[in-house]
Parts: sequence; C-alpha cells; structure tokens
Amino acid sequence: MTSIGTGYDLSASTYSPDGRIFQVEYANKAVENSGTAIGLRVKDGVVLAVEKLIHSKLLVSESNRRIQTIDKHVGLATAGLLADGRHLSNRARDEAASYREHYRSAPTLQFLVDRVGLYVQAYTLYSSVRPFGCSTILGAVDETGPALFIVEPSGVSYGYHGAAVGKGRQLAKTELEKLKFSELSLREAVMEAARIIYLVHDDAKEKDFELEMTWVGSETNGVHLPVPQDLFNEAARKAKEALENFE
Amino acid sequence: METIDINRLKSGEVNLGTSIMAVQFKDGVVVGADSRTTTGSYIANRVTDKLTHVHDRIYCCRSGSAADTQAIADIVHYYLQIQTQTRGAPPSVHTAANVFQELCYTNKDALSAGIIVAGWDKESGPSVYNIPLGGGLFRQPWAIGGSGSTYVYGYCDATYQEGWSRDQTICVDHIMDALALAMSRDGSSGGVIRMCVITEDGVERLFVPGNELPKFWQGKECWARL
Amino acid sequence: MFRNTYDSDNTVFSPQGRLHQVEYALEAVKQGSAAVGLRSKTHAILLALKRSTGELASYQQKMHRIDDHVGIAIAGLTSDARVLSNFMRQQAMSSRMVFNRPVPVNRLVSAIADKAQVNTQEYGRRPYGVGFLVVGQDKTGPHLYEFSPSGNSYEYYAMSIGARSQSAKTYLEKHYESFADCSLEELIKHGLHSLRETLQQDKELTINNTSIGIVGPASVHEKNVSAEGNFRILEGEEIEVYLKSMTPKDTGEAPAAAAAPAEEDATAPPAAPIVDEDVQMAD
Repeated sequence: MTSIGTGYDLSASTYSPDGRIFQVEYANKAVENSGTAIGLRVKDGVVLAVEKLIHSKLLVSESNRRIQTIDKHVGLATAGLLADGRHLSNRARDEAASYREHYRSAPTLQFLVDRVGLYVQAYTLYSSVRPFGCSTILGAVDETGPALFIVEPSGVSYGYHGAAVGKGRQLAKTELEKLKFSELSLREAVMEAARIIYLVHDDAKEKDFELEMTWVGSETNGVHLPVPQDLFNEAARKAKEALENFE
Repeated sequence: METIDINRLKSGEVNLGTSIMAVQFKDGVVVGADSRTTTGSYIANRVTDKLTHVHDRIYCCRSGSAADTQAIADIVHYYLQIQTQTRGAPPSVHTAANVFQELCYTNKDALSAGIIVAGWDKESGPSVYNIPLGGGLFRQPWAIGGSGSTYVYGYCDATYQEGWSRDQTICVDHIMDALALAMSRDGSSGGVIRMCVITEDGVERLFVPGNELPKFWQGKECWARL
Repeated sequence: MFRNTYDSDNTVFSPQGRLHQVEYALEAVKQGSAAVGLRSKTHAILLALKRSTGELASYQQKMHRIDDHVGIAIAGLTSDARVLSNFMRQQAMSSRMVFNRPVPVNRLVSAIADKAQVNTQEYGRRPYGVGFLVVGQDKTGPHLYEFSPSGNSYEYYAMSIGARSQSAKTYLEKHYESFADCSLEELIKHGLHSLRETLQQDKELTINNTSIGIVGPASVHEKNVSAEGNFRILEGEEIEVYLKSMTPKDTGEAPAAAAAPAEEDATAPPAAPIVDEDVQMAD
C-alpha cells in the first residue's frame, strides 16, 4: 500500500497529496475484518441479520446481542469495532429521544440517519479523535414506509433495498442482487436473510458463528423485535438445507 | 417576600386583553379573535390581527403580552420551517402545539402567554390545542381564551355540538356570536372580528367590521314605578 | 523505540484497521494475577489469586463489592480499577435512588464498557489498563460478565482473565457444560481447580493468596448470609474448607491442564502480536 510510511496516514485531519484521508480508509479495514451484517427492505417491512462470530465457546449463547433497538420502530446492526458500534447506537438513541421530546412524534429513519451521519463525520475532521471503526445498518418502518440505510465510517449514508457490511459483504451483495425486493413478503425476507448469512460464513477460515435476526413491519405492528423463535428456527433450518444444495 | 404574579405586565406593556377561540369541525378548524390591543385604558391598536400564521395549515390565536406571544410565534414558525426542510413534509399540528408548549412551560416565569393552536394535518385531520398560562397542553374540540372568554363559557357549553360542518356555516356563526358576546361584556376586547377557516384545501380569511357584529339584547333601563 | 509507526496514539488506526494502543492495554490486563468466574443456575462466583510483594507486605485486594447484588474481580492496573468500580457504585446507587431497584447487571457492565470505549477514541487519553470479571444477580438470575479495556463486554458461562489465564480457560472449556447444575461447593471446587492452573510450578493456592466471591444462596459452610444471597468475599480461614476439598494436583485433572500451552511469564514484558482470540477488539 502506498499510504504506509508517507506520514499522510497518521491522522484523520491530514489529506494525502492525492486528496485521500487514509485514517478513514483504515477505519473501513476494521469493518472489513468483522462478521457480516445484512439488511433487507421489502414492501411490508425490514429484516436485519448478523453473523455473530463466536470467539469462545464459553460465551452465553443468545446473550451479547449485536443488533440494537434505537427507538420503538428502529433497529441498528453494526459491523466492525463492537464498542464503537455501541457508542453510535447510544448516540442514535439520544437523537431519537430528543426528537420525540421536541416534536412528540416518532422520528423518521432518514432523520436519524442524517443525524448519526453528521456525528460520524465529525470524527473524521480532527487529529484529536479517530474515525468510527464501524459501518452501521439502520432499518425501520416509519411514516414513509419501510426504510434501510448504511452509515459508513466517513459519515456518508445511502438508502438501500438490500444492504451488506463486514467481511462477507461481496458475496452477500451478489446474493441480495438476485432478490426481487418488491415482491418478497417479510417472512420470505427472513428466510433469505438467514440463507445469506449461512452462505457467506466461511466454515474453513472462521470460528463458529451464531445467527442473530430482528425484524420490523406489519407482522410486528411496527415494532422492532427479534424474529420469533419458531420462525427463526425454520429459517435457520432452511438456510442449512440450502447450503448443502449450494455446495 | 416577593411573590411572582405571572399576569402582571410591566407598566406600559402592550396587552392582548382578548377574546380568542378555535373550533374543530369535520373538514377543518375555524379560529377567531377580536382586534383590540391595549396599554392600560388606551387602545393601542383597534384592528390587530391576533390570528398568527405559524405554518401553511397551522395558526395560533394569541392572548397575553403582545411582545411575548409574537416572539413565541416567531420561534415556533422558525422551528416548523426547519422541521419541514429536514423532514420533507409539513409538520403536524400536534408537533407545532408541542413546540409552543415547551417554550411556554420552560419560560413560564418570564412569559405571559395564553395560546390556542389550531390547524389541519395529514395524520389527524383538524385539531385544536389549548396552551393556557402555566404551559399545559390540552387537545380539545374547541377552545376559548383571553380575558373575554370568561363571559362566554356558559354560552359555548350550551351551544356547541359535535359534527358541525363548514357548509352549514354554523361553526363560523357560532364563533361570531360567541366573540360578539364576549366583546360586548369585556372592556379589554372589542373592535372587529377576524376569523380563519383552515382546511386541507387552504386558509380562508373572514372579516366582520365593528358595525356589522351580530347584535344581541342591548339592555334596557327600567324605572321602578313609584 | 516504538514497535511501529501506528502504535503510539490511541487515535490512529493501523493500515490493517487495528488499534495498537488498545491491544497493548489488553496486555496490561495480562500482567495482573489471574481471576476466574463461573456460573451455575443458582450462583455466580469469582476466584482470584492475590499477589504479595514480599514477606512484610499484605496481599493485594482483587475483589470489590459494588452493590448488594454485584461484585467484581480485577486484573491489571489497580488504580484504574478503583476509578471504574467507584463509577459502578455510583451507577448502582443512582439506580436505587431514582428507580428504587437494584441495577440490572448488564446495565452496569455496559455502562463501564461505554466509558472505556471513549478512552479508545479520543486523543490525550489512554485506554483503561484493567479487566474485570463481574458477577451479579438480578431478575433474570445469576450472571457472569467480562469487561475489557477495548470497551467490549460479554456474558460467559465461565471465564478467566489475567496472567496465565489461558490455562484456566482450557480447564473451564473442558468442564463448563457441567457447571449449570453444580452445587455451590462443586462450583467453587471447579473454580479452585481452574485457578490452580494459572499458578507457577512451585506455587499453590493457600488461604492467604486466594479470594472467593459469591452471589447466590449460602453454602453449608457459610453463616450470616442474607436470604437474597448478597455478594460476599471469602478470605483467610473461611476458605480453608474449600481448599481442602480440592483434588490434589498430581491426580485427577492435572494431566489435561499440563498439556495446555504455557503462557509467558507474568512479569515478562508484552510479547509480539497477540493471537489470543479473546483480546481481539474486532469481533
């Protein structure tokens, strides 16, 4: 890499001669090393799923959740430095709460994403801080309907029909691109999400993993919740079957 | 010990000793007010407009200190513009009322403001919110406020009925009558009647000159026969 | 002077997206003597190895009570631990005052984790140099958490931190599936056995160098324990009965543990890049 040893890559407040900010690019590297997180936006809701890598078998399963609830109707999944992800989700919660305080109504996801984006961007401006080492997927159903966004370490955000971040994002994107989001039901989206997470997990290279899935939509009455156990089990079972057929 | 009188105005402060009201009907709301502004016994403005625009389909009726309520309405107008820009859609009446409430409550010691917020929005259609002196927030089908309102509570209670429509103009007539009654008994109210009809389609302004106010029993002197 | 260009500031990512200062802070935890935590359906316990600087010095304090229902064991910089445990106590007290209820254990752990995260991101600070094992009980039963300077916190069935903790971990991984149904006495015995694995060759667990922290109902050997089973620290004479219950080292579990990879000496400076998985900041 040309950046190393030039001295232009030691601070977020330094541009390289060709106009790049290497510290932000390095922050992206932290994301690329982490377990995959995906989001699917379909006509009646949003599904979030993460591949939670299990670094020790002593971990209590189904504890240590990686998908957070930001507001009643908003979910957040991060890939990258976990602690940074929690910092951001706390910030997002504060934003949502202050919006509610001020306007007595639920914030739209677009609003939250804009605010979180501004916050993240501020950490790319100064040498006194480092950028966030995490990419964040936010999903919600708000007054505008289902919504899905990614906020990157640079602070930029984009809306998506299907979103993927983390180690397996390339493969996940390829799979997401095959889906017809306008035709999928929320339940079908849960099946697809589980299938993709199982597919992108690299058994040979990786440690064990645990699938974590949440959804929000018509079936949950507009509330962001973990996917119920029976549906979760069905999705995981089908995902494993699909994997055997795939190989 | 000094007691705080939130009703007290500074000497010379302009006061909206007022009659204001808002009524919700099927397709919208009607807001109405008299036009008198006083400093002590002097009428500073005979044709005041106390119906203040805060957004396309949201108005407020102001009572209390003219300066305070103008400033509050300006601030709310600013916030609603900001929200419209960031949200890409007009704000709800509920949101507008909440911003008013927050300002009135957090600054209650410094303000003298009784405000009625009314308007139409996509989420809940027509709605009326009352924010009296202490900074409370109450949604009501109709609300009256200002010094003149005390004289017509009974009239409004006895007359108001749910399900009025704009077409029957009962709503408008009701407001006209109630305000005329209040203005005829309250020394701090008077002048003309201004009204706004706010519906999804737009805002229609109505004006009733002082010499065309509804007339009621004017009183008659009776002499006891000796 | 420095191992590389990217390791002197906590505000600098390495080209690989790593935070070297955080990784070094995790090394500081390994300088401290070991602590072990285990959880059953009814109890969560801590065991720690206390060091003494010499004949004339007392043994260090490895465990702290945070609230009636929560206790911690520490490994690493003691002064950092004091700052964080004071913070935890304040959080616990404020929960009792504001909400009139004991703070849920995961809240408490998340609170210090969030605090620690800030120290990994802002210039002029250093990451905390201490790791905690936190035990506690709340509405959802007994819990065991690990807090680390990276700002991460995880819930475990059993865990060990500090010097040579890998050896204890090997023991725990072998036996953890049986912990859920253990009695308190059995759980302590497992704890002592795993803690023993962290000792240097010629050392052994004594009533002076061992602390045991417990939440959950009283053991048959305990007196004056509240009905709720509040957190208590056992030291000295009180633990003799448990030490005596241990299986002598040269029989039973010893061979399995001896096979575990030997850790670097606790007093040695941090060795080259760490491969130990539980210290990776990224998940």
